[in-house]
Amino acid sequence: MSTAPEIRIEDLRRRQPRNSGLISGHRACLGCGEALAARLVTEAAGPDVAITNATGCLEVFSTAWPESAWTRPWIHSLFENSGAIAAGVEAAYKAQGRSTKVLAFGGDGGTFDIGFQALSGMLERGHNVLYVCYDNEAYMNTGIQRSSSTPHAAMTTTSPPGRERMGKRHLKKDIISIVAAHHIPYAATASVAYPADIKNKVRRAMAIDGPTFLQIHAPCPLGWGHEGDQSIEVARLAVLTGLFPVVELERGGIGSVLQLREPLPVNEYLKRQNRFRHLFRNDARATQELEHLQAIANHNIEFYGLRGDRPAAGDACGADTVRRGG
Amino acid sequence: MSSIYTRGGYALPSSSLDFKTGSWRTKKPVHLHAAAPCHHACPAGEDAQAYLALVEERRFREAWETLVSANPMPTVTGRVCHHPCETACNRSKMDSAIAIHNVERFLGEQALMRGWDYPMSPLPANAPAVAVVGAGPAGCSAAYHLRRQGIKVTLFEAMPQAGGLLATAIPHYRLPRLSLEGELERLLGCDIDFLPNHRLGRDVSIAELRTQFEAVFLGPGLQKPRPWNVDGAVPDDLHQGLDLLREWMHVGTLPQWNSVAVVGAGNTAVDMARVLKRAGVARVHIISHKAIPAADIPPEDTMPAIGREIFQALEEGVQIHEHRGVQRLVLRGERVTGIEVVHMKKLRGTDGRLRRVAFAGTESILPVDQVIPAVGQVLDATGLREVLHEGWFQFESYNGVLKQHNNVYVGGDARGDHGTVSEAIGDGRRAALAIAARLRGDAAPAEHKREPIGVERLNLHYFEPGDRPEQPMLPVAERDAETEIELCLGENQVVAEGERCLSCGNCMACDNCWNLCPDSSVLKTREKASDGSHYVFDYDYCKGCGLCAHECPVGYINMIDEG
Repeated sequence: MSTAPEIRIEDLRRRQPRNSGLISGHRACLGCGEALAARLVTEAAGPDVAITNATGCLEVFSTAWPESAWTRPWIHSLFENSGAIAAGVEAAYKAQGRSTKVLAFGGDGGTFDIGFQALSGMLERGHNVLYVCYDNEAYMNTGIQRSSSTPHAAMTTTSPPGRERMGKRHLKKDIISIVAAHHIPYAATASVAYPADIKNKVRRAMAIDGPTFLQIHAPCPLGWGHEGDQSIEVARLAVLTGLFPVVELERGGIGSVLQLREPLPVNEYLKRQNRFRHLFRNDARATQELEHLQAIANHNIEFYGLRGDRPAAGDACGADTVRRGG
Repeated sequence: MSSIYTRGGYALPSSSLDFKTGSWRTKKPVHLHAAAPCHHACPAGEDAQAYLALVEERRFREAWETLVSANPMPTVTGRVCHHPCETACNRSKMDSAIAIHNVERFLGEQALMRGWDYPMSPLPANAPAVAVVGAGPAGCSAAYHLRRQGIKVTLFEAMPQAGGLLATAIPHYRLPRLSLEGELERLLGCDIDFLPNHRLGRDVSIAELRTQFEAVFLGPGLQKPRPWNVDGAVPDDLHQGLDLLREWMHVGTLPQWNSVAVVGAGNTAVDMARVLKRAGVARVHIISHKAIPAADIPPEDTMPAIGREIFQALEEGVQIHEHRGVQRLVLRGERVTGIEVVHMKKLRGTDGRLRRVAFAGTESILPVDQVIPAVGQVLDATGLREVLHEGWFQFESYNGVLKQHNNVYVGGDARGDHGTVSEAIGDGRRAALAIAARLRGDAAPAEHKREPIGVERLNLHYFEPGDRPEQPMLPVAERDAETEIELCLGENQVVAEGERCLSCGNCMACDNCWNLCPDSSVLKTREKASDGSHYVFDYDYCKGCGLCAHECPVGYINMIDEG
């Protein structure tokens, strides 16, 4: 083994057998799920894309002036208008007769809340844009404020548990159904725990001429309260418990779903995150909220038909099975 | 350009690669090839994980060459070893252990069938010469490893043929002749000077060997039965288990008895009992002071014989009386007509020491025509006296060098501290490496105390469940003296075992670290990196989050403190 030629790291960096839109040197936190998801999306989308980015973590950590971690044309304007900018860029390319695909990126704040109107307009007008929402379930960039994507009972700085409430009072908005209700051809959810699934869905969306939407569940170690090395584990547990269903909606109807072998109890997911730690106190309200979250998972499993008949290579346990040689 | 911008900040656009996020790191990931539990547990020193990886890719010849770098006789150990590798296998905590012994045996059989030669370079003209005494597992292993080290070997054997106990005392239905002879023939054929019918103390002496050779390895085995009697009484026609086994192997018949009790709990006792069944004895009993293996019985209280052999004996109608001892021989004149057995157990006395306690009131008479002790063997000191100390060898445990005679080494059963084929093979290898180092003028290789990697270090989510294949067996009705009982697995079954292997502690190039790093700080190489993996950490940007280590299925990535 000592006979192996010495490898220069700069050369090796250039020779990687992948073409990433987001490269090293960005300032994301340790174990950031969003940074990983964005890289995977750009790898699958290929080089002929232009990206519009709403305000948020992704925009901030990737473009510390005067540097950029992007290797694709990339534009940031405001928090609320990623969808509108994407629509404009797409219309301009179309007028020029260019086939470059436009990707619109936003966090859950920029998608579920602040940029919702611009997103809805983009979808309704039928622009050929893939909108990717990196869903880390709160306003992490500004200090962990609740968004309409924050799950029920989660603690954020604006939904603290206390005498009145056990974390967030309201439910996580069902954005994928709202998006699908725009009569668009393809809307899907995915999780960073299943990179191959993300890439497949991006490729699928890239091939569609029209508005498509991908919601990617991306843990935030800082906001969710877990160590950076646990990001994939936590994301995987969200899927395996049924709290985050990985599904495809085609023309509003349920397409294929990532099936579960034996759904895990939601506690397995919740107990690993500080944002849910108040649910593990000896408190009748805590027990009620745990039951509530379990019921939400059960509802997801029933609604999307997540329970598989038998173990399959493509289900949530088999889809990421490793093989020697990758 | 700068003249256009007269106000505000301005800088040339640059890439984030200018910003080295590696400076944030407090812990850093490193590759660490930890010992797989199978490797750690193997007395012969085989790295099963390494050859299973090659088997998975159907690179059988390379797999076999990896295997024989430790153990020259895989067709033998694949059959007769108690395979502690499988007991240690991490996969057993997930579903069922890898059938390592079947893979080992398959590779050995492939090598014999296809005539593969050991990877070995020709002997140099000025090769140093070393004597090996005893061509049993220890001696053969020592001779082979010395030869691999470029040493000229003369192998002395008292019997007309090589193999030791493998040839004289392991019945053919457990170890077919063709396999054993094929293995021995190849081993002795690689330029080893084999001298059969040379008995130590009769034809050669240790003093001669020590002057004629640079070093001497002794693997004489245990050749004398342990003395046995019941309160001083022995049957007038006492047959020792091992002697009787040898007679059966050599002649093929045994005296005609109707009912026999074999006293003992080891492999010789079990083999003896099964051979008696085959020789036509209607009722065969084993009187064992220990228990038949079961899940709830502690290992120190179970019969030392190999578990699967015990169960096959039971299948074949041998009766095992567990936790029983012989209290009295029932004699008519000097002939045995029965034995008085009693329930007994090893229990701790008030002084804290373990002693056998017989329980009064549990005695019973077992009518038998013959009692055969198979209670172990002791060292035959003939020809060895000048290197023994109070009847035993005194040696360094790791490589077997004698404490008083630094060019004499001992291995195998004669050491007295262990008694299996695999341990003997391991003794031979370690002594050979120590001898080679000594002849080169180097220090003797020291024992590596690497802890094996535990199942908690693996990420089992990334592996699919799957059971080990069932061992194909000859039905009881078809069993005879010659036909092998345990049959070989097929090629596809063996490859499936390679796929099932969790590759504990060794990179399987699955790409997880490369795929999942949020900072693109794991780089992939087509060539092998200096540590033998296909990945390099880019410490300029790695922030030390540890995600790669947590998602590494095989525990190959460790997080260590920075600086």
